[in-house]
Amino acid sequence: MDYLSQANSKALYLMVGAILLFVVISCILFIRKSYRAGIQMGMDRKVLRTTITASALFTILPSVSILLGVIALSGSLGVPSSWLRLSVVGNLSYEAIAAEAASQAMGVSLKDAATTLTASHLVTIILVMTTGISWGIIATIFFGKSYSRKSTQMLNKSKKRDGKSFADWAMVAMFIGFCGTFIGSYVAEAVVFKHFLPILTALIAGVIMKGCEYLVKEKQMVWMENFSLSLSMLIAMASAVFIAY
Amino acid sequence: MSTFDYERYDNSIHRLGRIMNAIGILALLALPFFFSAALGATISPSGFLKGLLRVSITYLPICIVEFLIYVPILGPGGSYLSFITGNIINMKLPCAYNAREIAGTQAGTPEDSIITTLAVGVSSLVTMLVIFIGVLALIPLTPVLNNPTLRPAFDNLLPALFGALGAQYFFKSWKISAIPLLLMIVLSIAIPALIAQTTMLMILIGGIAIAITYYFHKKGALQ
Repeated sequence: MDYLSQANSKALYLMVGAILLFVVISCILFIRKSYRAGIQMGMDRKVLRTTITASALFTILPSVSILLGVIALSGSLGVPSSWLRLSVVGNLSYEAIAAEAASQAMGVSLKDAATTLTASHLVTIILVMTTGISWGIIATIFFGKSYSRKSTQMLNKSKKRDGKSFADWAMVAMFIGFCGTFIGSYVAEAVVFKHFLPILTALIAGVIMKGCEYLVKEKQMVWMENFSLSLSMLIAMASAVFIAY
Repeated sequence: MSTFDYERYDNSIHRLGRIMNAIGILALLALPFFFSAALGATISPSGFLKGLLRVSITYLPICIVEFLIYVPILGPGGSYLSFITGNIINMKLPCAYNAREIAGTQAGTPEDSIITTLAVGVSSLVTMLVIFIGVLALIPLTPVLNNPTLRPAFDNLLPALFGALGAQYFFKSWKISAIPLLLMIVLSIAIPALIAQTTMLMILIGGIAIAITYYFHKKGALQ
């Protein structure tokens, strides 16, 4: 049996399916527990349902992008391994980097996977990919509870002390930092490499988002709030196709 | 409702998270050994160690920093789920923020913990469903998704995401936004190699944004 047939064998699909089923059950347990707690706490059912709808809608587009990653990786690692790796822990950039680093450590490359890789390479690569990104999960198991409680206490203490919370501003600041890093890199990419598509896409998404905000706040189109992020991304991504064309 | 015991709920979330993540990571680490048995293959100890060293040099510090940054933002339930399902920066974190904005909750509150757990849980399920459908349809779907005409759309997913979020967050306070954004632009133009290092720079730029926030907050200049 050649490498890719082995990498796509039914036994691998079954094992991956079993693990993914476990993760699905885990998600359902968390959702059920928190939804019930929300109701018991007296939270509005409508708010809880809106959270579910908005989160599902928001996730569809990035998920398609992750699916593309599965397709991209499946050429070298087979579908089951790529499916698993991109459904749990890590992200596309990590998986691609880790897989290539592990391949190179064994003197092979993902580029010529069909002809140079063997099943032994594959299992070693998967072990490296999993172990290399497992530290965050391990940290949650051993330190998640104490760190989460400590950080929550600090957040609440700052609220009591300052009236208007520094913690809330710090959360906003952290996200401003994330957005600033990416938007800044797109501006630099345009200036240095004359690659204008990323910053143009970001600008279009930003303009649509502000337009949605205007409609929600000024025109009382509250229903749009759930869709504004997904809609902005969708229009911006579609625009990228036209600009590139 | 006054009868609700949040402490008890929080304990049960931590217990569930610890158990699920412990089983999850053990199963994931065991999987390559089961693959080996099924395929008659052998894991190369030297290949594993060399590969792990290469990966860990970059990703061990990132994992630690991510843990320290993401747990307070995502809350307990959201954190356990995010770390086992991955795709945090490009999906779980923005999804949790989006849900928080819509629900109008504040970080650190019991309501926020419920909202972020729901958001991350639903997001994880939808991703797995989309990938599952995609894997089922992989062969007929591949030419459509890999069509060069559509590539720019998927290549620009992150610019679309951060453009939309940037418009939302920069406008909350330009006092906080201006310096981190300008600093990132100047740094990346001066050292173009940094353009590809957004994950590492995020920590620096995020830290600077928080320091600026602290300064303005102390002066009472934030509204």
